[in-house]
Amino acid sequence: MSLASAPSVAAKSPGSASVLGGALQNLTGLRILLPFAVLVAVWWAIKAGGDFPDNLLVSPLQAWNAFVLLVSHGVIAEYASTSLTMLGIAAFVSLAVGVPIGFVVGVNRYAAHALEGFLRFLQGISGIAWLPLAIIWFGFSHTTTLVIVIYTLIVPILFNTMVGVRAIPESYALALRSLGASRLRLVVDVYLPGALPSIVVGLRLGMGYGWRALIAAEMLVRKGGLGDLIFGARTFGQIDRIMVGMIVIGCLYIVVDRLIIQPIENLTVARWGLLRK
Amino acid sequence: MSLQATSLRSSTLFSVNGLAWRLLPALPFALVLIVWMLGWAALHPNKATLPPVSDVIEVVWARMRDGELPSQIAASLTRLCLGAGVGILTGVIGGFIAGLYRNVAEFLNPLVVFFNAISGIVWLPLMIGWLGIGTALAVFVIWNTVFFIVFQNTVLGVQLVPEVLEQGVRTLGGGRLETIRSVILPGALPYILTGVRSGLGFGWRALIAAELVGAPDGLGQMIFAAADYHRSDIIIAGCLIIGTIAIAMDRWLLIPIERRTIARWGLVLDTGRKS
Repeated sequence: MSLASAPSVAAKSPGSASVLGGALQNLTGLRILLPFAVLVAVWWAIKAGGDFPDNLLVSPLQAWNAFVLLVSHGVIAEYASTSLTMLGIAAFVSLAVGVPIGFVVGVNRYAAHALEGFLRFLQGISGIAWLPLAIIWFGFSHTTTLVIVIYTLIVPILFNTMVGVRAIPESYALALRSLGASRLRLVVDVYLPGALPSIVVGLRLGMGYGWRALIAAEMLVRKGGLGDLIFGARTFGQIDRIMVGMIVIGCLYIVVDRLIIQPIENLTVARWGLLRK
Repeated sequence: MSLQATSLRSSTLFSVNGLAWRLLPALPFALVLIVWMLGWAALHPNKATLPPVSDVIEVVWARMRDGELPSQIAASLTRLCLGAGVGILTGVIGGFIAGLYRNVAEFLNPLVVFFNAISGIVWLPLMIGWLGIGTALAVFVIWNTVFFIVFQNTVLGVQLVPEVLEQGVRTLGGGRLETIRSVILPGALPYILTGVRSGLGFGWRALIAAELVGAPDGLGQMIFAAADYHRSDIIIAGCLIIGTIAIAMDRWLLIPIERRTIARWGLVLDTGRKS
């Protein structure tokens, strides 16, 4: 029955596809914007109805003005680029260091067993808890922030690489070996693709932890970055700047998560995820 | 044949070296400790930079005895319980409403994605102004962190309960409430608990971060205040305690609960998927 109805749908769709697609796209755009419109309306109503002074709550218009001011003076761009650069460097270093170590540990049963508990323990100590010690060691500097974020990112990446390598059925490696493959070939053709989905999961989790650790570290180190922007604004009671900063932080994270990490995850799972079955 | 031989060999190896295998996880801890001790003995760094192991043990012992450490731990754990309790409660209730009514879920989804992206510590500067420094602030930050994770997982769990099972109860004369109680709640429980578990992981981190600046006491404040006096022994002791609590919570509280729930209720989902 479903087979019979399929051709008619297919025959109908080409003519109306573009119109329907356009309308549908508008609808999804509206669906995303409508809740925010309601939120802003409520925010405005609270500001207008309750008698809040500007150092407690600003109106959406004031926040928008602050946003325009910060953008036109290049402040947002500068602070955001500091944060994003930090996150980028930390992600790069963590992947470059964490993945190879994860592989080396993962292929050895004993090493993996020995390190698992240790890594779990490290994961339990959030990066931000090391901040006071890092401040003593490296001062109030970018190094401190970077160390904290790398620590936060590297542990889940290393751990998940290890778990990913461990989860690959040994028969795959044995099959390649019996065909005369070298160790390198084994890593490139079996371990890397087999562990990739797990590595990407680790990266995504690490980014979730790492982004928050970055903001928190920036608040306390006070050497630039969006965390510094909103925490600095607090000292002067500039609620408008705090709110703008929060919105920018949220939007940037969504961009990083949805437009960079999630596509990588989908690609990896689509391309390599089948290997598991 | 050869496979059998290897498995046999590894099993004998396992029984012979069973104790060694079990002790293996302690090796990295021991290594770090030894390197730390030897490194300290060889280089004698400034105590403010890196204290000797004995100092850390001593400070833990001393603070344990004068009751300061237990009270700091209690302060942090109380905040965690309060924040996580409210977060789980609101997250589950909200998640059920959003999960049962598709329109609500669709309306809320963009907001949840956005507020999840700024959940937790990002609220700190704004909330210091609104709530002041203290327990309310820390509880808010934890609630904010836990809520979104539990909420999202509950929605997912509720939506994934196979409709066949709901209809089964309906056919047998069960009302809306009966359906929720006997089908949707148990079906969603494994997802909810996964959410609770990772929510507490994020929540504990957020608490420590919030306490660094936004609380008069607690473990986070203890280590942050110690930095002013360059007391790295207190900081390291604090970090180790923070890690131990996180592990203990996960291993002895959350994993057993999760496992039992999946063993008890997880089947509901399995049969649904297979049929």
